Amino acid sequence: MKKLFSMILSLALVLALCPTAMADTLHIGISQFAVHGSLDNCVQGFKEGLAEEGFVEGENIVFDLQNANADTGIAAQIADRFVNGHYDLICAVATPVAMSCFNAAQDREIPVIYTAVSDPVAAQLANADGSNPGEVTGTSDALPVEAQLKLIRALQPDATRIGILHTTSETNSDSSLATYQALAPEYGFTIVDKGISTGADIPLALEALLPQVDCTTNLTDNTVVQSLPLVLEMSAEAGKPVYGSEIEQVRLGCVASEGIEYLELGRQTGRMAARVLKGEAKASEIPFEIISNSYLYINEEALAQYGLSVPEALVSRAISVTMDE
Amino acid sequence: MLLSILEQGLIYGILALGLLITYRILDFPDLTVDSSFPLGAAVSAVLTLAGMPPVLTLLCAILSGALAGLITGLIHVKCHVRDLLSGIITMTGLYSVNLNIAGKANVPLFSGDTLFKNAFTKSLPDFLRPYSTLLIILLIALCAKLALDWFLSTKAGFLLRAVGDNPAVVTTLAQDQGRVKILGLMIANALVALAGAVMAQQQRFFEISMGTGAMVIGLASVIIGTNLFHRFSFLRSTTMALIGSILYKACVALALQIGLDASFMKLVTAVLFLIILVSSQFTRKKVHIRV
Repeated sequence: MKKLFSMILSLALVLALCPTAMADTLHIGISQFAVHGSLDNCVQGFKEGLAEEGFVEGENIVFDLQNANADTGIAAQIADRFVNGHYDLICAVATPVAMSCFNAAQDREIPVIYTAVSDPVAAQLANADGSNPGEVTGTSDALPVEAQLKLIRALQPDATRIGILHTTSETNSDSSLATYQALAPEYGFTIVDKGISTGADIPLALEALLPQVDCTTNLTDNTVVQSLPLVLEMSAEAGKPVYGSEIEQVRLGCVASEGIEYLELGRQTGRMAARVLKGEAKASEIPFEIISNSYLYINEEALAQYGLSVPEALVSRAISVTMDE
Repeated sequence: MLLSILEQGLIYGILALGLLITYRILDFPDLTVDSSFPLGAAVSAVLTLAGMPPVLTLLCAILSGALAGLITGLIHVKCHVRDLLSGIITMTGLYSVNLNIAGKANVPLFSGDTLFKNAFTKSLPDFLRPYSTLLIILLIALCAKLALDWFLSTKAGFLLRAVGDNPAVVTTLAQDQGRVKILGLMIANALVALAGAVMAQQQRFFEISMGTGAMVIGLASVIIGTNLFHRFSFLRSTTMALIGSILYKACVALALQIGLDASFMKLVTAVLFLIILVSSQFTRKKVHIRV
């Protein structure tokens, strides 16, 4: 038994050391932080964006897709693997892996293109003036907060207080919340926020929050979004509508959302990577991009439940989605 | 690839040294580790940003870890809370402490100097530079290992080993068992926090979730190391823990190499863990700590 083990382990070491390089095709390492619908869409979009520009998987490009399972230790190993394999480009999906990949690749001249990073400046993946600190650039999934506030104003003209539930350990939530707090007064809103540390805190936090607000809106907060059915149920009992931050949440029963399309975000990122691969520009020369188009998704069943209706001005661009059965 | 396995393995090896004390020597399932690892990282990251030389931040991280161990120890010994629970209590509380020390969930260190990227490492000759990170980690890991070896050979170290093996001996020697346990927990968590600090310096960011599963990684490393190499009588247990950690990271690298589906990663870890534990039951009676 023991001998077998030593053998397996030695084999493991030997295999781990084997180089993977092949000639004539481009090698792209994709590091994804966790298993998550939006992030999966980013990766798919990234591949599509590259394909649009002539980089087709299996023809002239090979993807090495790795998932860090939300473990920063593994994220570091994945990044090292890409860098040591002399890959042509690294795509990092979500903030922690973007940081790991940038750290590993910084002095090695391998471009890192990130996506789904809410606040590249706060993560020091971009400088405050918008320039890049090295061969790194990408796309940000910052929420279209302004559009969302306009939407809430249009649907609930009398509302004054918006509740936001957020997890204190999620940086993307921190930066979106700050944006909400900064922009809300312009539209006549006050933000009431409640921080939680785990999903188990949601019932109590929500119970305290709901009586103080006219509605709640979601961030892209993973913990809150995972408990969305509970949030929706409690909000329905209190008669306070919940606005989502992306299509999947509207599908689950949020009344509406001005959200970004992660597939589209991924495509934008893929086209950016294509420019770098073609040599049109170096990653350091391309400023990071915030996706500009937001899409309005509405859930008519949920709207009716709260007696809300979509004003004429918005109807034309509203995309109606239905609840999943 | 080998370079990265060695780097990662040695960083987590320092953590494994800590778990060697709690798990192997004290027989104490110490869950504090999942929070003292990011605690060290947070302390080191924040102090580095405040302008403190990175080396000194490591010392502060060590102190913070010792403090975390002290709290777990006091809860266990003075309040008579069960070992597992006292670790869980400290781990839970430290989460908030870590978040407040760092100020936010993710603190990047890309803009300034770190332990591994500074004027000194940039001045190294070209042929050495790729290895500078590994050399610095190796130096720290060896210092930690040698310091622990030395400590275990002192009278206090002997008492520490006795508490786990045969508590009666300690009482016979008119020594307070509780105090020895607390000391052990302090040293263990100091090492864990040091590992966290080195990790933060190497990856150049602190992330609140970086401690998740730290205990499992450390435990797996200790068990792989001490079970596979216990026949090699010239190896000390501390050396085995370091090697175990490197082997563990090699397994992760292998899993990445063969393109294992990410959703199975944790399950594979668990199975690997179980196989090593069970297989070692057939071949050994008891693995003694060797110093």
